[in-house]
Amino acid sequence: MTAVEEPTTTQFIRPDGHEKVTGTGRYTADLDRTGQLHAAFRYSDHTHAKILSIDTSSAEALPGVLAVVTHEDVPDVLYGGMVQDRRLFARDTVRFEGDIIAGVAALTPEIAREAASLVVVEYEPLPVLTDWAAANEPAAILVHPGWESYSGDETMGRSGNTLGYSSIVSGDADAAMASADVVVKSHFRTDPVQGVPIEPRAVVAEWHGEEVTIWTSTQVPYAARGGVAHTLQIPESHVRVIVPLLGGGFGAKCDFHFEGHVAALARKAGRPVKLVFSRHEEFFAVGHRREGFVIELETGARSDGTLVARRGKLLIDSGAYCGEGGFFAQMAAMHALGPYVIETTDIHSYLNYSNNQPSSSIRAPTAPQVCWAVEQHMDELAEALGMDPVELRRRTLIEDGSVTATGQVLENIAMKETLEKALELIGYGQELAEDEAIGVACGWWPCFSANSGAYVKLNGDGTGTIITGAQENGTGSVMAMPMYAAEELGMKPEDFTMLYQDTAAAPWDMGSCGSQTTFNSARAVIAAAVEVRDQLLDAAAEQLEASREDLELVAGAARVKGSPDKSVAITELVGGGTFHGKGSGETPPQPEAPAEGCVGKLGVESFLAPQLIAHAVRVKLDRGTGVVRVLQVAAAHDCGKILNRIGADGQVYGGVVMGLGQALTEGTQLDNEGRQRNPHLLDYKLFTASDAPSIDIAWIETPTPNAGPKGSKGVGEPPSVPTAGAVGNAIAKLVKRRVRELPMTPERVWEADQEVPS
Amino acid sequence: MSVETFQTAASVDDAIAAIAAGARPVAGGTDLVVGARQGKKPLPPSLVAIHRIADLHSIEEDTGLVRLGALATHAEIVAHPAIRTRLTALADASAIVGSHATRAHGTIGGNVMNASPAMETGGPLICFSATATLKSGSGTRWVAIEDLLTGPGSTSAHADELLVSIDVPEPAEGSGNAYVRLEYRRQMEIAVVGASALVTISDGTISHARVAITALAPTIRRVADAEAALVGSDGGETAIAAAAAAAAAAATPISDVRASERYRRAMAEVITARAVGAAIARSRGTDVPIPASPALHGGLS
Repeated sequence: MTAVEEPTTTQFIRPDGHEKVTGTGRYTADLDRTGQLHAAFRYSDHTHAKILSIDTSSAEALPGVLAVVTHEDVPDVLYGGMVQDRRLFARDTVRFEGDIIAGVAALTPEIAREAASLVVVEYEPLPVLTDWAAANEPAAILVHPGWESYSGDETMGRSGNTLGYSSIVSGDADAAMASADVVVKSHFRTDPVQGVPIEPRAVVAEWHGEEVTIWTSTQVPYAARGGVAHTLQIPESHVRVIVPLLGGGFGAKCDFHFEGHVAALARKAGRPVKLVFSRHEEFFAVGHRREGFVIELETGARSDGTLVARRGKLLIDSGAYCGEGGFFAQMAAMHALGPYVIETTDIHSYLNYSNNQPSSSIRAPTAPQVCWAVEQHMDELAEALGMDPVELRRRTLIEDGSVTATGQVLENIAMKETLEKALELIGYGQELAEDEAIGVACGWWPCFSANSGAYVKLNGDGTGTIITGAQENGTGSVMAMPMYAAEELGMKPEDFTMLYQDTAAAPWDMGSCGSQTTFNSARAVIAAAVEVRDQLLDAAAEQLEASREDLELVAGAARVKGSPDKSVAITELVGGGTFHGKGSGETPPQPEAPAEGCVGKLGVESFLAPQLIAHAVRVKLDRGTGVVRVLQVAAAHDCGKILNRIGADGQVYGGVVMGLGQALTEGTQLDNEGRQRNPHLLDYKLFTASDAPSIDIAWIETPTPNAGPKGSKGVGEPPSVPTAGAVGNAIAKLVKRRVRELPMTPERVWEADQEVPS
Repeated sequence: MSVETFQTAASVDDAIAAIAAGARPVAGGTDLVVGARQGKKPLPPSLVAIHRIADLHSIEEDTGLVRLGALATHAEIVAHPAIRTRLTALADASAIVGSHATRAHGTIGGNVMNASPAMETGGPLICFSATATLKSGSGTRWVAIEDLLTGPGSTSAHADELLVSIDVPEPAEGSGNAYVRLEYRRQMEIAVVGASALVTISDGTISHARVAITALAPTIRRVADAEAALVGSDGGETAIAAAAAAAAAAATPISDVRASERYRRAMAEVITARAVGAAIARSRGTDVPIPASPALHGGLS
């Protein structure tokens, strides 16, 4: 039995709140450079077509236009995450509606937009592939006929339209399925979903000789720097990426996006250039949204609930390009297992190209959709077994000593404890009003071990500065770094200021993604502070003529343990020398996953320091209309040691509301050529503050092996993983048939409650 | 195309002169500007801002009617005591237009002249037999709202006319009225299906009824069969169901990004029944909160 503890943590209030709330904060779009021009893009007129010719002469002739850039103005290189399959400016083929053919820099945004419309492009339209689930059929056209020539990760399992293939095969699932007392099959489908940061993205680029400085709204400044260097074929040392305040990302601002285009425009124009996206562009032009799924699941169980076999086929819409979502096939396969003990598995997962908007990481990529399907499937299985769905989970969820289908041995996890806590908070079993129901779902999400680096320096007056590569994305976790440095040095958090979000200043960092900021960057800051501590103790030992081992750093001074009057203030020590440290710390190792049936191992075949989540929701159905309101959510999480309760709770509030939007209202609709039909906030229905229910939160703390600093795990992504599944299970208790499409819109819920026409 | 000329009118005459010269009026801008940003329709090349014309910014009670200045905002309409008590359907409607920001800036004049078949206030105004006052250099015309709305985005107003006010007659004693809309979420919504109802009950019998449907036809329109099903009845469930069925039959819904034709038609019946039911309940003195929509959707809190 895992020890269960309530968190006792410091309450750290983020210092950037005031400037953001009062409007004094400055975002990228607020910046202006002397002589600055404005950028606009000419997007593709087709979702799939050959480009026959591009004529920019009319655009260039428009008064006020200083530069027009096409593929001819940049090196002919391909870029992309695990597979390099895309050009900055389309050269001979366009593959989705947001492909960029040309960029314009002009005196005003209006002139730039007009000039972009004057670029004349001749096309030969090609057949369009929007149904990614049919992409492997013999008749399907190839989205990338030259896929074999692309460089990319060799373990992707690429073939034709399949960009990534992954499987988890363990034991003899066929035999086990045949021996099962009960077998249940389910089919699900999900619409793509957008990240919708409140700040549409903006980029400002300015050259100084051969070097370029780029201010940009990115979650991953080092990836943006790498993208610029690669696509323009210049050294990374010539690219400086600075991120002003970031107005949210939710994953949509991960990856290199438009920094290269704007830098190319600024170089050709010889002037600084600024790009600010409209809300419309933030929808359709960003090659980065949550992927659509088609999911088939089949599970066999013994009458006592034991899961003897699971088959799964997952078809994922990659859209037109790889982006940074190359790992999706394997991640989805892991979520098709879910946090359960399953004796045999036969899971196959395909990440397929289409002519739709490219998919990439949005908060916990692949997890909310697959968890929504798996958790509804588990409730269907419970029903077939004649068992309460919670009882089935009690019997099958992972616990200490469980071995996953990929062979990972789990230790010190509190999966079952989160379930019990969520049930307690929601009042499971209580008498409910008419048309109300409670649904429950469980999920998991890994921590990501990554390199990181930080500097800590002490100033002459005893204050300190932390220099970190970590990027702030609204979570506040970067701003908590002074707490960790202060604790190592016996100082106060307010003694420290921070320099961050500038690639010229700090060592490489993965960025604000993968719930990894505290996990990896705080480790680096602590390691750097430890170096400074050693320097301070050395200096104090000399000054106090004491043995270094007898000294401690407390309350702004170095003192002899047990003799507090024998001490020297840090302010006195630093006056005599330069104290600075650097650190990275040791990255926790990935757990072993010895199972042989995993094809396409991309690093998530085991889950490092898994974060475990149980959500229970109480909903009310308006039976006449199919409108579902969520009245209450109980969210219990095992995210290891909670270092800052306010920040962690904030992630759950935000994640749950995002999860509810995915459950009920948020979905991108496509026409039959892959164009978005609702690329604006009127018809892309974000959940609003008015729709948010009461949310109760519990944290279950466990001593996690291979955890982050102080026993922490990640926190940012898990809160939106099981929410939609819990809502789906609640709705299913109220309507005639289960809703098998996500989002579960009023119309879909209403249809599920109609009599089947005979 | 972008705006080439922008002027601010200080008086109705200024505005009329500018409109005669080809300018389009703008008040709150919640349709015009948002529509342009969304790519629905570019901003007109010439704009005259009318938001500073004090004469148009009023809600007045006259004998048997409330006169809404064209610049009365939704927030002001919702807060007005006479509208809340006697023209309740209009308060129901203005209370759920867009978001808090939309209601603070959006005006009744803009809402009507934008002539969206999904606009909230049109149905109640038609049920109340409201009349628009249109002014131009050649004089003043009065046009019933029902006749003003001729199609999606089009009105019977002449190109040189400015809407200055709307007269809304107060219904007779013993009346109740309501506007109900299908809502996917609680703020920032637009009608996918809406219905308005006005009933007058004397001696237990409905003597007068008006029913209008929203977002279910190219314009907001009255449903005569629904009204006929109510008049002479006791306002019981059978009559309500008959009126709702008539509304669904009269609807000519489309399938689009917001809903399918099938769902819209089914909702026409559900939402009309709720609007008629709320109007009858109010006529009998039962308290139905403003706005009626959230309270009626299954009693959701």
